[in-house]
Amino acid sequence: MHKLKPLNRRWIPYASVTLLIAAMTGVLYPFGLALDLVNVALLFLFPVLLSAVLWELRPALYAAALGVLSFDFFFVSPVLSFSVADLRYLISFGVYLAVAALTASLAARLKRQLHYSKQREAHTAALYELSRQMSDMTEIHSLLENISSQVSKMIGSEIAIYLPDDANRLVLSHHSDTQSDWGQGEAEKVMAKLAFDHGEAVGYGSRTLREASGWYLPLRTEGHVHGVLALHLEEWKSEVTTEQQRMLEAIGGLAASAIDRVKLAEEAKIAHLTAESERLRAAILDSVSHELRTPLAAIIGSATGLIENDHLFTTEDRKELLMTIRDGALRMNRLVMNLLSMAKLESGMPRLRKNWCDAEDLIGVALAQVKDFQQNRKLRVHLPDNAPMVLGDEVLLEQVLVNVISNGIKYSPDYTEINIEVYVEESNLVIAVADQGIGLNNDEYERIFEKFYRAQATKHVTGTGLGLAICKGIVELHNGTISGKRNAPRGTIITITLPLHKQNEASNNIL
Amino acid sequence: MNEQKSCILIVDDEQQIRRLLKVTLQAHQYAIHEASTGEEGLQQASLICPDLIILDLGLPDITGMEVLQRMRSWSSVPIIVLTAKDQEEDKITALDSGADDYVTKPFAMGELVARIRVALRHATQSINDPILRIGELVIDLAQRIVELNGERIKLTPTEYDLLRILAINAGKVVTQRQLLQQVWGDHHNPSDSHYVRVYIGHLRKKLEEDSTQPQWIVTEPGVGYRLLSPD
Repeated sequence: MHKLKPLNRRWIPYASVTLLIAAMTGVLYPFGLALDLVNVALLFLFPVLLSAVLWELRPALYAAALGVLSFDFFFVSPVLSFSVADLRYLISFGVYLAVAALTASLAARLKRQLHYSKQREAHTAALYELSRQMSDMTEIHSLLENISSQVSKMIGSEIAIYLPDDANRLVLSHHSDTQSDWGQGEAEKVMAKLAFDHGEAVGYGSRTLREASGWYLPLRTEGHVHGVLALHLEEWKSEVTTEQQRMLEAIGGLAASAIDRVKLAEEAKIAHLTAESERLRAAILDSVSHELRTPLAAIIGSATGLIENDHLFTTEDRKELLMTIRDGALRMNRLVMNLLSMAKLESGMPRLRKNWCDAEDLIGVALAQVKDFQQNRKLRVHLPDNAPMVLGDEVLLEQVLVNVISNGIKYSPDYTEINIEVYVEESNLVIAVADQGIGLNNDEYERIFEKFYRAQATKHVTGTGLGLAICKGIVELHNGTISGKRNAPRGTIITITLPLHKQNEASNNIL
Repeated sequence: MNEQKSCILIVDDEQQIRRLLKVTLQAHQYAIHEASTGEEGLQQASLICPDLIILDLGLPDITGMEVLQRMRSWSSVPIIVLTAKDQEEDKITALDSGADDYVTKPFAMGELVARIRVALRHATQSINDPILRIGELVIDLAQRIVELNGERIKLTPTEYDLLRILAINAGKVVTQRQLLQQVWGDHHNPSDSHYVRVYIGHLRKKLEEDSTQPQWIVTEPGVGYRLLSPD
């Protein structure tokens, strides 16, 4: 199909030229002898120029020949005969043909140059577009997709891209036509490998295996080959121009540097992640070992003391030691709980056991849990009469409140107040816990929700740096938010928002 | 304490826990029997007919849940299950399959002893008395009258039903599902849980001094509610 079309079209210029000259002859013939023959001859240059501009050289030469014949036959005496009475006309014919040929070739060259410069402009634009798009890409697959679509737009052939895997073996990473199995075969892989190993083009038109149906272009930047771009050229052998080849090489270069950049970015990311996980591991070890060892030391010390030297202690001493054991164990228990919660949240967990939760109830349970260590701090609750219920996991939400309120207690002096306020804002239920404690620097309020982060000002208070990270994990599982800011004049406000759901209307209706 | 000691069977695979329970419960004047596996527990239960069973849900051979179900097929002896903190699902399943109460590990001894007392009392209590007295809370089941500190409290029928169920089980945990079933009947569906919350809120407003720090009706997170009996 593709090959027939140009053949079919090829007669059009000749037919048009023939028609044009026939028409001109028809029009000019009646005036024939009245017009000066030189003018007629000049007029017959017109189809030559026209066809030179429109269809390049051959139709123009054809027009010149046809023009001479027609001029001779219809206008030069004896009319309606190819014979020429005055031999000087032969010179005119010669000059006419020469002028025609010269102008035709000039016009044709001009046209070709115009065509080339247009093509070059298009290629430059395409390259520019490609390089712009590539520099935006950070992901290797979309990059390959892009390269392949640009190349197939230009050449129209099937494309495969091979990239080396971790073990530096070439694998087919992208294929423009997912239906086709070209590129999967051993032959193609061997060719690609050849191009990859030597860093030079293989196949069609190159120095190596030039009779092969594919063209294997290494994607190389300075000193490094990043992969191979393969084109399936079987049907197109005659169609790839030098211009296109050059263009392909340019795209190959662009693609190579883009792949290089993406790979470097990925490596940098991995390096960053590794450093981050290293930091986390150190923090975990540090926190866990400290938080486990301290209570363990207290427990073991007190227990062995009681067992070995029971008679030395007064009743009060004994009670003191027993309470040390209990407190140490409770502290370890909290740590284990926190680590378990964190691990669960991290493992992508938890199916939420969603249930309608009443803020009053949640707060009530949390208050009961912190009662033992609030000492003389006053916990005030401000709750609207008909606070709507939220849909959530009761146990987890209580854990959030307990953690936040315990923090408030832990980081504020005795005899201060902690205010827990509940209100509705837009379509959220907001629970704000405000203490009058030490407070933090503004920039630290972002970081306190990070795992194992402990604010500078709080380093002297024991803790793992997990509580708020767990809160954040849980609240986000509920599509809510948690944030901290300074309380005026002193202390911290932690604000939790939880989205309200429609069924609240139902529950309010039965009030 | 009764003249005759109540007999408690402990089914737990952890020797440390058994030893702890044995020493402390013996100090509280209970007679203790031990079993370290589920099968042994079932066997012992049929041999000695204990007054109460403390059953660990995480056993090595057959699950505690299975022990519970097999036990319930022939006996109504009070059973208190021991669970880990984050297993609300298990707690509810155990309670709905006939466990009387649960205690979460690690537990304070006082809490366990209180649960045991309540469970033993419910097992021996006659339910023929139409007047329930829980501290200062008095409920006349025949007349549907509720009094707190000698003052009559007006309750809607639903509130009354809810309080009645909690009071009959005073000291014992009642799951949300049990409440829904016994107050709203069988035609409830699980998403109706907000009804329970709403009415518990109402009850608290009428019974509690400060409903954010309830003294009477306490929430067992993720499980249900418990009407505290002051003992």
